[in-house]
Amino acid sequence: MRIELDFISVLAEWPMLVKGVAWTIGLTSISTVVGLALGIALAWSRVHGKLALRAFAGSYVETIRNTPFIVQLFFVYFGLPALGLRLSPEMASVIAMVINLSAYATEIIRAGIEATPKGQIEAGMSLALQPHQIFTHVVLPPALKKVWPALVSQIIIVMLGSSVCGQISTEELSHAANLIQSRNFRAFESFIIATLTYLTLAMALRRLLNWAGPRYLFGR
Amino acid sequence: MVDFSLWDIFRNLLLALRWTVALSLIAFVGGGFMGLLLLLARLSQSKVLQIFVKAYVQVFQGTPLLMQLFLAYFGMALIGIETSAWLAASVALTLYTSAFLAEIWRGCVEAIPKGQWEASQSLALSFSEQLRYVILPQAFKIAIPPTVGFLVQVIKGTALASVIGFVELTKAGTMITNATFKPFLVYSCVAILYFALCFPVSYFAKHLERKVKRGHA
Amino acid sequence: MDTHEPLLAIQGLRKSFGDNEVLKGIDLQVKAGEVIAIIGKSGSGKSTLLRCINGLEIFQAGSLTVDHQALLHHDANAMRALRQKVGMIFQSFNLFPHLKVGENIMLAPGLVKQHGKSMARAQAEKLLERVGLGEKFDAWPDQLSGGQQQRVAIARALAMEPQILLCDEITSALDPELVGEVLRVVETLAEDGMTLLMVTHEMNFARKVADRIIFMHQGRVHESGSPDVIFENPQTSELVQFLSALT
Repeated sequence: MRIELDFISVLAEWPMLVKGVAWTIGLTSISTVVGLALGIALAWSRVHGKLALRAFAGSYVETIRNTPFIVQLFFVYFGLPALGLRLSPEMASVIAMVINLSAYATEIIRAGIEATPKGQIEAGMSLALQPHQIFTHVVLPPALKKVWPALVSQIIIVMLGSSVCGQISTEELSHAANLIQSRNFRAFESFIIATLTYLTLAMALRRLLNWAGPRYLFGR
Repeated sequence: MVDFSLWDIFRNLLLALRWTVALSLIAFVGGGFMGLLLLLARLSQSKVLQIFVKAYVQVFQGTPLLMQLFLAYFGMALIGIETSAWLAASVALTLYTSAFLAEIWRGCVEAIPKGQWEASQSLALSFSEQLRYVILPQAFKIAIPPTVGFLVQVIKGTALASVIGFVELTKAGTMITNATFKPFLVYSCVAILYFALCFPVSYFAKHLERKVKRGHA
Repeated sequence: MDTHEPLLAIQGLRKSFGDNEVLKGIDLQVKAGEVIAIIGKSGSGKSTLLRCINGLEIFQAGSLTVDHQALLHHDANAMRALRQKVGMIFQSFNLFPHLKVGENIMLAPGLVKQHGKSMARAQAEKLLERVGLGEKFDAWPDQLSGGQQQRVAIARALAMEPQILLCDEITSALDPELVGEVLRVVETLAEDGMTLLMVTHEMNFARKVADRIIFMHQGRVHESGSPDVIFENPQTSELVQFLSALT
């Protein structure tokens, strides 16, 4: 039995692959920034918020964490138009990715916040800092530093999950691979190349985030 | 166009739910066995085996599950195996699960204090005896909560099998949406059913985690 | 400044943790510039009293007035004003690990008093000089010894220009050879006229620097007086017992 693999005809379509990679990176970047911000806000509300807010945040987190991303995506893209909210595939993808990342980020960041030594908060209080100042300047930076590896892993999971967005015609990498193989019938080769590209993206993203976190978010 | 009642929709989804559960169990049990073998290879003295398992885990954790499903489906067809969506999904999810469980369990073994290894070594136990009688029993206890927790990931992972045509809960949802033109209602039901499956498992895993923590305090 | 009115006035202060009454009616008046050392067995309520003064603990009965302002727990603005007048140094330093030494000192003046960056920096550099760590402005807290960290903590509290400084066993967590450098700084603060309330086990230091010693026993001020009286002429058997246990 001879298996003939033809990677050349797939690589010949490199402009489409590059476009797909660009979209994947774009979706991931926006979702990461917004998702982390939302995650921090929700984590704060789970620790300090009033009961109603805590209950809402808790339900939100449990709902997202116990349903598949693809169902969340379909709900946003197909389900919301029934309520009058029509979204482009890209918009729906970003929204679904933001919602997904923020739910996981909330729990991770909350663990970091709750691990803050009591003495740090007392020192902040003794220096007459207001609660929101204590949260932003004393509690959050060390908390983010502590949970950064877990957050980075979660961001990479969301990046890999963006491959599902091709199912609603978002022009990211898996969609590009699908398009290529529908033309040249080299399905296995197309997906191998896409998979290796994802693997490279995951490794690069981990390096980037481990460099950016200390630099921009928490000091060293 | 036939008008579908809520119960019609729910009934069809429940029928498809069986396949979600079946696929989840196949992947979890099969992946568990494979994961154990991978763990033993990782813990062995052979550098080659260690590197293999490391690379295996890195590949499965660093690539999308969707791609793994596609590769299983088209890859098996390429080498002449008659592939159904069902078979491809089972293979892909089993391999995926084995990688993640092997890594979770490795973490649990590494959490065992070095003193345990040293003590059993000093008692002249061989490496496999150390593993079997001292290390793995302890690692097993702390491995239960995250392993149960990963079952939730497996259940959610089965939803992607819909993309290669396997008729589980998500695929049924898509088909029913196309028939009823009620996407909001149908996908809400789909989400509720996944939640009904996953939430008890998540809660149980958290409960187990609390029990383990208390046991050690 | 009215030197007849006390800077800090405590009347009938009672504090309980659940069913356990830890402070059973404290009366205390502190004049500006006074240095008070609070001594006593562990569990006598010394630290709790200190923590009531800057609002880290809430008391159930009695009154506490700082600079003519009564302490109002539920008024956030009043508490913020209080904490600018009353600073605290902790046993475990509690420096912020993610900020350099200079940034630790500059943080609160910048956020609370709205000092500009250059003003805060100049002040921080001056305070570091004052505690003998002028060259450590850009160091990280974990690069410093315990004694150095505590001196930075003192500089950090001084940056808020408080009228009263509360010192809660500030040398108890230090290796013996590092205690001296911290006590020397506290001594200069006392000489410069800072009002100090120190919970301490360093009896020699208390004897040398304090204007008044307060001996606490089972949640009450048991004896109070000048160092000579307290150490040479203890009136109650509990104080006698406490002092003899130290030697």
